Amino acid sequence: MFAFTYHRPDTVTAAVDLLRAHEEAKPLAGGQTLIATLKQRLAAPSDLVDLSGLPALRAITLADGRLIIGAIARHADVEASPTVRESLPALAALAGLIGDPAVRNRGTLGGSIANNDPSADYPAACLALAATIVTDRREIAAADFFTGLFETALEPDEIVVQVSFPLGGEGAYEKFRNPASRYAMAGVFVWRGDASLGETGVRVAVTGAGQGGVFRWSEAEAALAGAFNPAALESLGLPADEMIADIHGGGAYRAHLVREMARRAVARLMAAAA
Amino acid sequence: MELTGAQRIEAPREAVWRALNDPDILRQCIPGCQELAQDSATAFTARVVLKIGPVKASFSGAVTLSDLDPPRRYRITGEGQGGVAGFAKGGADVWLEPEADGATLLTYAAQAMVGGKIAQLGARLIDSTSRKLAGEFFSAFAQIVAPQPIPAPPLPSEAAP
Repeated sequence: MFAFTYHRPDTVTAAVDLLRAHEEAKPLAGGQTLIATLKQRLAAPSDLVDLSGLPALRAITLADGRLIIGAIARHADVEASPTVRESLPALAALAGLIGDPAVRNRGTLGGSIANNDPSADYPAACLALAATIVTDRREIAAADFFTGLFETALEPDEIVVQVSFPLGGEGAYEKFRNPASRYAMAGVFVWRGDASLGETGVRVAVTGAGQGGVFRWSEAEAALAGAFNPAALESLGLPADEMIADIHGGGAYRAHLVREMARRAVARLMAAAA
Repeated sequence: MELTGAQRIEAPREAVWRALNDPDILRQCIPGCQELAQDSATAFTARVVLKIGPVKASFSGAVTLSDLDPPRRYRITGEGQGGVAGFAKGGADVWLEPEADGATLLTYAAQAMVGGKIAQLGARLIDSTSRKLAGEFFSAFAQIVAPQPIPAPPLPSEAAP
């Protein structure tokens, strides 16, 4: 690890000021990606601004028909939260599938989405649930937040404060994990609006598979809007050359996994509704 | 691993060829290029900062032009040492074809290879990253040579399926 100056501000404003004051400063949330990178000397920020001194950002609350999760809520917090389990059980289940217990006890929601790893789980939930990302200065729709491989709409000195999920339907997440890293080889979050809550429609978000990171699978959404059952996905396919290809699997394999995970998520939602 | 792509450039082939040999334009197009000094007509020394997610590594190395067949094709190769991060090598064969309306179709076949720590940590990301960098290079190039590019067959890099 290279030397850096450590800061632990106690307000969001102070954290943003520190990021502004030091050009090579990086915010530190749970550190599950950043600290590993620093240990390997693959990055050398001048300053680290640790956000763990902002306990207000760890709160999980319900307000105006939305579930609001603070940016530094740990994956384990989200998994165990009775509020999340009751209002959005699929999100609690997703949090429980991230990494291993060590990662879940340190890693945070805000850190995961700000990093936007193409195989991370939370970006799929944010897109499928049409979440709003609240930062220190503005609100960003999830659809505008994830802009490509490891890229987001965040400015270098901008901090995610909370993520707000509307509660108007049911979701299910299915993930095919790499057995070693437990990253998604393909992860699919399917959301279905609840007409009694004034929501209709279907959203399907895919992580772990697209070259450009998380994406909405619009053909699957259209097919499921017509007939919500796994068979509706039977004839659909994604272009293999737009899927991630690496030592763990080629593009055609990933395209197959995506459809299979989508089918399982739909089946799970149907079983839950029955 | 090999990536191929094509980019339509709204400029005549001669102008595109000149730009492909202009160190000032290459410096602006190579993603993260901080410096590009010309050593000879076909050899350059470069410093590139590669920033992918949490990783930010600085590579110093050489950029070479070879297999020159003006104004039809050449090969551009880059090779850099990133110190503790490892090394990166990449190259692209570039072909220029005149279009009927006076524009130029640029096609490329690029290869990338990384080694050392950056390869161990980033194995699952090298393919996606290389596509992204190649896409950035050629779209920046089209933008500089002809300010309003119309990309021909869509590049797989950023497009969500």
